[in-house]
Amino acid sequence: MVETFEHTADLGLRVCAASLDELFAEAGRGLFSFVVENAGEIQPRITQFINLKADTLDDLFFDWLSELLYRFDAQQLVLCRFDVQVSGLSLVAKVAGEPVDRARHRFLREVKSITYHGLVIRQSGQHWEAEVIVDI
Amino acid sequence: MGNVVFQGPLERVDTCCWRIPKSYKAGMRVDGLIFADEPMIERIRGDLAPEQVANVACLPGIQGASLAMPDIHWGYGFCIGGVCATDPSEGGVISPGGVGYDINCGVRLVRSTLTEADVRPRLPALVDELFKQIPTGVGRTGKYHFEPHELRELMIDGPRRLAERDLVTERDVEFTEAHGRLDGADPSMVSKRAYERGHAQCGTLGAGNHFLEVQVVDHVVDAEAAAAFGLAEGNVCILIHSGSRGLGYQVCDDALRALRNAPANHGISLPDRQLVCAPATSVEGRHYLGAMRAAANFAWCNRQLLMWQTREVFEEVFGRPWTELGLELVYDVAHNIAKFEEHTINGVRKHVWVHRKGATRAFPPGHVEIPQAYRHMGQPVFVPGDMGRASWVLAGQQGSMEKTFGTTCHGAGRAMSRTAAAKDAQDRHIAGELAARGIIVRAGSRRGLAEEQSAAYKDVDHVVDVVHHAGLSKKVARLRPIGVIKG
Repeated sequence: MVETFEHTADLGLRVCAASLDELFAEAGRGLFSFVVENAGEIQPRITQFINLKADTLDDLFFDWLSELLYRFDAQQLVLCRFDVQVSGLSLVAKVAGEPVDRARHRFLREVKSITYHGLVIRQSGQHWEAEVIVDI
Repeated sequence: MGNVVFQGPLERVDTCCWRIPKSYKAGMRVDGLIFADEPMIERIRGDLAPEQVANVACLPGIQGASLAMPDIHWGYGFCIGGVCATDPSEGGVISPGGVGYDINCGVRLVRSTLTEADVRPRLPALVDELFKQIPTGVGRTGKYHFEPHELRELMIDGPRRLAERDLVTERDVEFTEAHGRLDGADPSMVSKRAYERGHAQCGTLGAGNHFLEVQVVDHVVDAEAAAAFGLAEGNVCILIHSGSRGLGYQVCDDALRALRNAPANHGISLPDRQLVCAPATSVEGRHYLGAMRAAANFAWCNRQLLMWQTREVFEEVFGRPWTELGLELVYDVAHNIAKFEEHTINGVRKHVWVHRKGATRAFPPGHVEIPQAYRHMGQPVFVPGDMGRASWVLAGQQGSMEKTFGTTCHGAGRAMSRTAAAKDAQDRHIAGELAARGIIVRAGSRRGLAEEQSAAYKDVDHVVDVVHHAGLSKKVARLRPIGVIKG
């Protein structure tokens, strides 16, 4: 489950999932839904692999979203599929998407960066939840 | 999160200034001072921006007070509208959060000799052409290509390097803050990722609150200063708001990551991890400063290329060279930056790192860093409002040196969150409403336009009133938009 929450000048993403793997995947989908209005129409035509390690779970989550943003901004790639496996403080992910096509992809807003402001990632009962604010 | 209210003390200093005493929380080294009037201060209490002012007061080496301008709002670590000066000889730190993600985001104003009557008949064609020619919107790349070694030169030297391609004049350089070049830029400290994100974006506007507006000098308040800046009532000018694009965002991101452990390594305890910092003289601090200055110089190149493309469009639409249309740069100011400046603090001259995050330098008359032609008037400052109301030209005043390390406000500040603004605009046609008022808008996305609608911002006139009365900068002229392009 992904929802948006308000922050004065920017936007927050609230994610809830049954596992940590799904939480990271949902956050990836949520990030692209901020950027691409018709994110549901992105085709999984190119596959890439991502490996990350961090010192804390917060850092891993932050680095994961920053990595996706980098792939969009530097490689002009929009992503729609996120197969993530988190183990301890590292992750391996297979992501899929396609190159930006301005004739088909309608862009909503520019995400400058992922922030640590109010960043929360925690287990709550049987679920995992996270909150992150992105700089617009 | 946006509903948390500041519960701490805000003591009235005078009609334009409020104090958070350093006794408010443990770790504060100096007071916090917020420049605002009575009606504003209640709204300012509505989020935790004042808490951020108090947090910044905890930074090692901070001088005077932790300051906030009247357009203060909640940011990351530092509030937007925040100003802080740190003395490196007293362990003063440099903090990427005190500069912001968009390093050297700023504004430049271009004047013209065209009047509104000259422009009105061709305004739709002009705005269409600006929107077509100037890359605008999410992730757009520009028409200028720079090889890696050229990009490094731009980061070291700023816009003056564009002379090799005839994309800048000597006058353009002269009328840019710091001549568009911060000394000590070190492109080797700029990551490969930052190059990759930014190399194709020099000369692009971006999205969000960035814009290019065709405006009319609506009302001159100070005739002498306006004349010095070449502004006459009824004349058309162009205001450009953009920054260092993906390159700067990545430099900030890299620095936040690189400095994650710096506070602990240097024995600095912080109330908020987004204030990550390092002593300005430390290896980590110097690395960030080298990269930040490179990104700042890149941002000045970006705004120079945006102005150059604007000149080309005007030439095309009006069929005359830009020099004949008088499209000269009035000035270019940064509002997200850290600069090493000399200030008098408690009667002692000191060199300090002035962090301005959503705040504009506003040096008073006589300051050597102001171009000779304007020096007797004070440094020009541009304060964008919103696309439906107004923007302002101000001039720096002596009070800024006495109270705010030579600083004033940078904008109106948001009054509505993005989601609230979009909801408010749901059944409305924002572009149509503006068109009915004679303002032509071209934007990349309808939703983006809704989020940036006029009502989403506070009234810039009110913000400017406060800095005027506080003696930080004086009103020179009010500008009214007639054409807007946005991402």
